Order: sequence, then C-alpha cells, then structure tokens
Amino acid sequence: MAPGVERSFTAASTLEEALAARRQGAAVLAGGTWMMRDPRRGGQLPVAVVALHRIPALSKVEINADHVVIGAAVTHAVLVRVLHGVAGFEGLVAAAQGAANPGIRSVATVGGNLCALDFAAADLAPAFLVCEATVELQTFEGPKLLGISDFLEGRHRLLTEAIVTRIHLRRDLIASAHIRLPLRKAGDYPVAIVSLAVDKDKRCRIAVGSVEPVARRWTALEQAMAAGPASALDPERAAELALEHNDFQGRDGKEAEGWYRRQVLSPLVRRGVAALLKTEGLA
Amino acid sequence: MTVTFQLNGEDCRFHGDPMTPLVDILRQERFLTGTKAVCREGFCGACTVHVDDEAMPSCLKPVGLVQGCAVTTIEGLSSGNQALHPLQAAFEADDAVQCGMCFPGMVMSLSAFVRDNPHASRAEIKAAMVGNICRCTGYERIVDAVAVCLDQARKAGQLVEGINV
Amino acid sequence: MSELSATVMNLPRRDAQDKLRGRTKYTNDRIRPDMLHAVLLRSTVPAGRIRKLDVSAALRCPGVRAVATGADAPGLYGIGIADHPLLAIDTIRYHGEPIAVIAAETEKQARAALAAIMLEVEPLAPVLTMAEALQPAARLVHEGWRGYEVITEGGARGGNIAWEAKSSRGDVDAAFARPDIRIVESSFTVGRQSHVPFEPRVAIGSWEDGRAHIQTSTQVPWTVRNVTGRVMQLAPGRVRVTVPPVGGGFGLKFDASIEPITALLARMTGRTVVLENTRQEEMATCLCRENAEIRIRSAVTAEGYIAGREAVVLMDCGAYGGEQVFLTTMTAHTLGGNYKVGATRLVSRAVYTNTPPNGAFRACNGVYNTFALERHTDEICDALGFDPMEFRKKNVLGDGDLGATGQVFEADVLGPMLDRMDALRVRTGTSEAKADGRLYGIATTVGTWFVFVGPSAATVNLNADGSATLVTSGVEIGSGTMVQSLPQIVAGQLGLAPEQVIVREADTDAAGLDVGVGGGRTTVSIGAASVAACADVREKLLRTAGEMLQTRPEDLVLREGRVEITGRPGSGMSIPAVVAHAQATTGPITGSGAFTAKNTPAMSGCAMGHFIDALDIPVFVVHEAEVAVDPDTGHVEVLAYRVVQDVGRALNPRAILGQIQGGVVQGLGYALHEEVTLTADGRIAQDDFETYRLPLAQDVVPVAADLYEGAPSMGPLGTKGAGEVPILAVGAAIGCAVARAIGKPVRQLPLTPPRVLGLLHEREPPPEFPHIAPGWASNTLC
Repeated sequence: MAPGVERSFTAASTLEEALAARRQGAAVLAGGTWMMRDPRRGGQLPVAVVALHRIPALSKVEINADHVVIGAAVTHAVLVRVLHGVAGFEGLVAAAQGAANPGIRSVATVGGNLCALDFAAADLAPAFLVCEATVELQTFEGPKLLGISDFLEGRHRLLTEAIVTRIHLRRDLIASAHIRLPLRKAGDYPVAIVSLAVDKDKRCRIAVGSVEPVARRWTALEQAMAAGPASALDPERAAELALEHNDFQGRDGKEAEGWYRRQVLSPLVRRGVAALLKTEGLA
Repeated sequence: MTVTFQLNGEDCRFHGDPMTPLVDILRQERFLTGTKAVCREGFCGACTVHVDDEAMPSCLKPVGLVQGCAVTTIEGLSSGNQALHPLQAAFEADDAVQCGMCFPGMVMSLSAFVRDNPHASRAEIKAAMVGNICRCTGYERIVDAVAVCLDQARKAGQLVEGINV
Repeated sequence: MSELSATVMNLPRRDAQDKLRGRTKYTNDRIRPDMLHAVLLRSTVPAGRIRKLDVSAALRCPGVRAVATGADAPGLYGIGIADHPLLAIDTIRYHGEPIAVIAAETEKQARAALAAIMLEVEPLAPVLTMAEALQPAARLVHEGWRGYEVITEGGARGGNIAWEAKSSRGDVDAAFARPDIRIVESSFTVGRQSHVPFEPRVAIGSWEDGRAHIQTSTQVPWTVRNVTGRVMQLAPGRVRVTVPPVGGGFGLKFDASIEPITALLARMTGRTVVLENTRQEEMATCLCRENAEIRIRSAVTAEGYIAGREAVVLMDCGAYGGEQVFLTTMTAHTLGGNYKVGATRLVSRAVYTNTPPNGAFRACNGVYNTFALERHTDEICDALGFDPMEFRKKNVLGDGDLGATGQVFEADVLGPMLDRMDALRVRTGTSEAKADGRLYGIATTVGTWFVFVGPSAATVNLNADGSATLVTSGVEIGSGTMVQSLPQIVAGQLGLAPEQVIVREADTDAAGLDVGVGGGRTTVSIGAASVAACADVREKLLRTAGEMLQTRPEDLVLREGRVEITGRPGSGMSIPAVVAHAQATTGPITGSGAFTAKNTPAMSGCAMGHFIDALDIPVFVVHEAEVAVDPDTGHVEVLAYRVVQDVGRALNPRAILGQIQGGVVQGLGYALHEEVTLTADGRIAQDDFETYRLPLAQDVVPVAADLYEGAPSMGPLGTKGAGEVPILAVGAAIGCAVARAIGKPVRQLPLTPPRVLGLLHEREPPPEFPHIAPGWASNTLC
C-alpha cells in the first residue's frame, strides 16, 4: 500500500453493499485466517476489503426437512455445533471438527475454506463433494447456483466477480464419514483426506482431498463399488478396489511426496468404510 | 478508520489501519504484553484472547472485525491483586510452568474450554490443546493440572455452569 | 537439620505467578515507543561476492536514523577460530546472512528503507552438502581460512574442514585383524533440529556513558559481551549485558548472533535500538542442531566383547564454524561412551557448507551419536545373535573402565541403572496391548553425556533483614535453576528459607565471569561458586556471632534463620541481629566464591583437537520406548516412555521430573516429527509452524521416570545437571524400537510417516557416503 493511502474497510450489512464494494475492487474478508498470514509471506494486504460477518443471512445455518443451507460466514465451530447429531452429516461435522485447531475453528469460515484458492488440504471441500453440495454465488449479474465440483474447478475465475454466499445441501444421505491423515495426530494440514457418504439409494460417494491440488470425486472407485451388491459395504473389499482403481496423481509437497499421498488412499478408504458402518444410518 | 471495542471491560478506541492484527494493538499500543506474538500464523496459540467469550488467536484477527466486541486478555482474566483463575492456580501448584511464554495463551484457551466442557476427559483436554504449543514442558503436567482443576470444580459443585472466575 | 535436608525440597517457582498472569517482561516485551527499530537486509543467495553495497539512498528514507554494514564492525568472532563477521564483509556464505542493518523510528519505516539499499551480488556456485564440500576440487567456503585468528589451539583444519578432533586409544588395526571377531559396519544420517524457543533472538541496545548496554534474550551474557567487544573492536569491558527472563533457549542462545548489532546502532544514533528476529527469520537462520553423517565399524567377538571400534562423524557447521568446532570434541565422549571397548579411534569433522550456520542444541552431538551408537549396537546384536538387553548389561561402562580418550570412569552406574529400568518396567507394566494390531516394538537404550563445567562466580550479600542476595551471571531460561536449585542451595548453606534468597538477574557489570547457562552446568558450576560464597559469608557471620555470644565459631551452626550453639536449638541469636552488629562493627557481610572445571586429563596421546580431554562429571541415562507402527501409513505412536536418569543428587525432584518430561518430548520431536530440509538454493525449507511440526499434546505420553542418585559428582551436594540430558537417548530409543517393530534397519531420523512407510516398502535407500573413505585414517587430516 502506498504511503498516505488509507485502507478501505467495509463491514457490509447487506449483500448488495458487499457486492458494491467487491465491484470497487475490495477483497472479501472472511475469518481472516488466510489473508492475515500473507504479510508474513512477503505478500501485501489488499488496499480495500469487505467483511461479510455483519450480513445476517450469511451467518445462519438453516436445517429443513429435506435440505440444509449454510451461510458462507458460518464458522467451523458453529457448523459443528449446529449439525452435530443430524443424521447423514457425520462426515461434514468431522471435517469441520478436525480442521486446523480449536482457535482457528472459532474464526475460520465455510466460505473462506472453500475460497482459499491454493489450499489443497481444505477439509470442507471433499466433505461437501460427497454431499453433492450446491454453491450459491452472488455475481455482479445476480445470483448463481453451481455444483461443488464445478465451483472447485472454476473458482479461480468465478471468484473474480462473485461472492460465495451459501452452501445448499440436500438431506439425501443416510451416513457419511471423513478420514483425514495429518502427520501428527492433529494440528497440521492432512496429507490426504477421504470423505465418504451413502445416499438413500445406498450408493456410495467418495471424494479425495489434499492428494491432488484440487479435491475431487473418486468416480472410478464409486463405479467399482456400485458394481458390487449394495449391501456388501465391506472395508477390506473397498480397500482392495481403492488399490485397483487408484487414479490419483499425488502432489509433491514439503510435508509429503506424491507417492505417499497416493499410497495411503486405500487404507483411508478402509477406515472410511469402517467408520460409515458405525454410523446410526448404517449400523 | 476508528474501531471501538471493549478491552478488559473498558472502552478502547483505535485509530488506524483496520487490518492491523489485534495482537499488535494489544502489545504495541496498550502495552498488554501478556499476549505473546510467537508464530503469528494461528498455530501456536500464544496470542489467544477471548473475543465475546470465545478463545481465538489475536494474530489473525484484523482489528476491524472486533468493532463492538468485548476483548479479554490474560491481564483481564485476573487483574490487579485478584485471585488467580483456578486454572492458573492449578498450573502454579503443579509446577507446570517453565519458560512461561506459552502460558498466557494456554490459560486463555483452556479457561474457555473448561468453562464449556466441565466433564472433559484427558483425551478431550489434549484435543483442546492442538492449537497451543509448548516447547518446554512436554504438556503432561498442563493436562494433569487441567484435569485436577476440573475435578476440583466438580467436587465443589460448580458443575452446572463450569468454571467461572 | 543437616545441610542436605535443608536443601532438598520441591520448592515451587517464584516466577510462576507472574508468568501465568502475563506480567513477566521478557526482552521482547520491553520495547518502548521511543526506541528505534532495526531490520536486517539478508542475503537471498547462498553464496556470492558483494560487488556493490551503497546505503546512501536508504539513509535518506523517512524515519531512518542509521544504516550499518560490515565495514562498521570489522572484527571477526567464533569458537575456536574467528571466522564470523557480524554483517557479511565482501563474501556471502549463506542464504539469510545479514548484509546491512537499518535503524528507523518505526519497524515499518526500517523495512520500507530496505528497498533503497543498492546491493549487487555476483552469485557463486554454492557448496550445499558435506559430500560436495569434501570433494577434492570443492570451492572453499572460506578462501582465507588460513588467515583466521585461532582462538583455541590444537585442532587440525584444512579447506572446508573447519575443525577436526580425533581420539585414539589402543591398537585398532590389531583388534580388527583378530581371527575371532566379526566386523559390523553401520551408516547413519540425521537432519537438523530447530530449537523454536517461543521468544526469538532479540536484543535492545543503548549507549550509556561511553559504553554499550545490551539487554537480551541470551544464555551467555559474557559471550555476548566479549563478541560485541570483538566485532566493534572495543575493550569487552565497555560492554554491559543484562538479561531479563528468557522465553526458552535450548542452546540456540548459547552463542552471540544479532545482539552486537544493537550496540553498534546505539553508538551510531545515541538512541536505544531494538532488533528482534521475525519468526521466519528466526527459523530460517536458526543455529540448529547440525545435520550429521556417521559411519561406525566394530570388531566383536562371539562372546560379545567389543575388541575394536572406529568411527567417522561428519558434522555440518554451515557457513561458519560456531559451536560445531567445539562439538567435534564430544564425539569421543558420546559415540565413545556407553560401552567398554578394547581399542578405539574416532574422528569428528566440522565441515563448512553454504548453508545457515548450525549451533548448540540440548545434548548437542550426543543426541545423534547416541542414536547411531545404539542402533549400531542393535545391529551388532542382530548380526551376532545377542540379546540386546543382555549385551548392554554385559558391556556398559563400569568402575575403572576406559573411555575413548583414556579417561577412567569411576563407579558402576549404567549397570545398576539398567537394573533399575527393569524394576521400573515391572512397576509400570508394558503397553503392548495398546498396539491394537499395529506393529509393536520396545527398546532400551543407554546414553553418556556430561556436565559442561567451567568458570562461574558468585557473590552473596547477607542483609540486615535476614535475607541474602545472590549475584551471579546465571540466567533463568525456564529450567528453574535460578528460581529453584540456586536459592535452595544458598538457603541450605546459610540456614535460611529459600524465599529469603534474592536472586539477581544476570548483569555482567554486577557479577563475575560465567560461561553461560547450558550443558546442564548452572546448578553445578554456579551452585558450587555459590556454596563457596556462602562459606565466606558463614565464616564472617560465625566470627561476629562468636564474639557476640562469647563462643567459638566452630561451635556455632546456622539453622532456621538463627546462629545457634551446636546441639542447642533456639539458643544463640537471630541472623539479622548478627548482621546488624557486623555492619556496625566490621562492615556488611558479603562473600564471594568461584568455581571452574578440574580438567580431568586424557591418557597421553589419546585426544587431538579436543576442547575437553575427559569428562569431569559424566552423566548417564537409560531410556526405554514402546511404539506402535501403523503399517498402512507409517505413523509411529509412542505407547509408553520410561527413563532412569543419573542425577547425582536430586535437589528438587519435582522440577527434575518436569525437565525430563519436557526434554523427552523435544526428543520425540527430533525422532519423529521435526524435519528440516534445505532447498536447492540453500534455504531452510521449514521456516514456520505450519511446516516445522513440533510435538503437540496429543503426540506425547507421560514419561515414567526414576531418578538414580549417588553416582560420583564434584557438583555441590553431589548434584549433576538434570535439564540437558533428558533429550539424549530419545532418538536412540525410538529408532531402536521402530526398527524392531518394522523388522528393518532404521538409519535416519526423523521417522516421519512417509519415511517409515518408505522403509516398510523398501523405498528408503540406506545412507551411502562416498565422501567417507573406506580406511579410517584417510578421513583425517594428518
């Protein structure tokens, strides 16, 4: 920031106000847990920011009979509190509960987690993938709904003129699980994540995070598992299929090389299926 | 920009960059140096404060986001000659402190935790400490002291609301 | 009451309450708005020549009050050899090396002015590894090494070998040529470990009455004083160093680094100047525990007698010699410790590379040499079919056995300690059931360390209110010596309560020379100096009291704040009454004491290039770990950890147990989690808490510890330092336990999940050292 320039900080109280600031070039400030680290890494804070925490609709979680709507400014901690015990969302709760550490979870938001562009290890991304979430954006042209896969793929471009406002989830899951593998027990970003869910038709959905730069569904494994009898959800069998259908290109990072991330997927699938079988919906 | 908030029960007015991390205002402008800026990235927990009664790192908190909030620092937890918070007393009694730099943050994180989780197990206490690093003590005495503290509170019949100052 | 019973107690820490309330003012809590802030211009290449350095434009930037470069502080410093400039002079030797420093009214202004420094560097091809540095045609990291001032004589040096220490005892060639032996050879490699004290290196410098005053977070106020004198070319007496409470050290603050810069800038500006490393700077330029490469060969008979042993240990000192020059000495006592060996020869070389300089870290050198020695011992047992515990019991050093430099060890210590470990295991039980289907391993290992003695001074002033003031250059870095063991010792000597002993913060203007807090020496060395000072005080006190009571001084004792006639509790008079009388008649009662090493000699001709020929106070440990290894992911869970530690005499058992828990956990970090790697351009890749993984609460277990008392020690009341050694054998115990769990040799630390999975899947190549010659003698300079 040039000397003498005062930073513009808008705590928007409506979406319109936020969008207007965004149009003026303001960056969206969610919990701040990513943006505030930038100066330590030689980056600059944006000259103009717009904070969303004052917009009531964005800080709410609505639980309806057939769907759930999560505001983008809802924190991980609140998400855990609100969805705890809601059948089918065990995986999402585990994802929000396992991310980072308690202090960060009290601050970091759902929207912030999904919009952290270069963060491959986001816990919520694979969890939302198996929910087949719909992401609601407010663009300069109006609202827009997008499947989570498309959002994750296209977010670099999409977010230049949009704000993520809400995540919509259908309540069509009977069980889900989220298995993350940090190098310690917790506290570091997982080197691999497997999220799994079983829907009302007993079809298994599986997504993988942190192994590749962007989380994605494991379609090959889902299809292989669908080919077997739906009643035969078996950890060992699933692990074998995971080994056979491992089509991931592990990314190399300081914490782990690509081969390791790929290698652990099959055991994580085994654990995930075992966790699924322990949920109320499947037990 | 001007930001106003409550700081340890008193009005605090800050003029300046709203993206200034709260920890810098506490330390550099209010000389509340009990809040430690150690990693400045949300991993170590040494800068933990309470914002509207929730424990969070002050290094990643732009002051603009605390407009209208109530901030409590370690200095506000038991000020002046007030008795120590039961957790602080337990840490002292157990000889848990070494270099001491992580402790203000440890106390702020865990005081919120014991308030909200009066029945926490040892494993839950440890899970609550994921964001509070200690390089000296090897943690176990801290965990022991928290467990003792919860136990005493339960015995004293403060069960229902957890531990409060 | 005996002196001992008046001293031994679980005294709580007097600093705990302020620390818990956030009131303790560490150095970096003392920054005031009227201070100037200094920031460093650091190198962004690992090697280069400075072609141009023009700071004139930076001097004109808003708020800037001074800019300093190497030309302003031309003196070189170092340990053993003076090879280190305060700010780079002409040559850049590591990524992150300070080149210039700016002092401005605010940190922001100082940072902004960095861009105005005109710097042109001609990059040079860096020498990044010891393998590269030892190539015959390697570029010299220090072209002018021959011209450096040698501060300590005796080490062989040459090219990229900053220092070489050797020990040699007996005919090793003959031992290896025996027909009844088998030769076992092992190679090990370990990475660096970053200390991560919560308070980074920080200093506040001012210029007062023509002298520098540096307040700093250091373990070695006298080193900071002397180094500042050297680099500024001042008499060291013109530098005063005071030390507020230190937010963790672990050895990182056992050398001077950025502190003198603040004195330089204070002299230039007449203002008080603060310089504090950011966390990234702190980690990127951490004086880490060095990476090392070790090859050991042993000749062992079928009966399990170690007839001969030889080893080559390469220690990366980074761009400057620093502590590694000294630490080459330690190989003889760590790798050369633990076991009776017929004939032995060991060489230890500190090697220059274009990487951030390394330094001292808790049980420096010992941690990885113990890992190597213990894993090698297990490989001997595997190869020859010995039970590892029986082999250790048979071979550990005992009374009259010889060390690598020919030192004669006194008393059986390790043997009985192994028996005590057996007993401890019976008490705690084992935890195999917790492995729950994972691969289980248990290992018992031993370690040899020492108390780094050396000079200390103490003054005790007895006050008319019955209190005593202890003045030393000791520093409270968190280990509790200044708030627990020292007041306990002084109180025990003078018949006072520890609360009555006031302990002065270190101030080089107030107390005599001290080599610093490290090596487990404070309780021993400052403690011994304090005992001597108390003897002086006692003598004066009893003489005055004798006159007052018309009794011979030798018939008087000090007890519970009174001078009493021996055997008549409550007789005599209160200490304050005697002090008041003395003040009015002969003057205030004050005593001084001093202590230094006894310098136990080596056997003639056995030690070359050694700073310490033999251990004045050996310290032993026995560590036992139980682990479970997840065969799917390579995660190692520590199920249980047990320690038997030789403490000589436990003055404050509770405090020692706290040191053991903390030290073991730092060792678990080293063994399992904490990894430092270097990038292609010579940077430390892990410069934050995201990538450098410290152990967290969930990763640790309560350590079951048994304090072994009674081994010989020259320390006061038979004490030995207890804070340094708990980390010593953790890498060893974990390494051996994991190797047994997975059934594969472990030759590298840390055992991160990817590395362990790699071992299980045969993806981890064993270390190979083409730069270590097959013949031992070819790895020595002369």
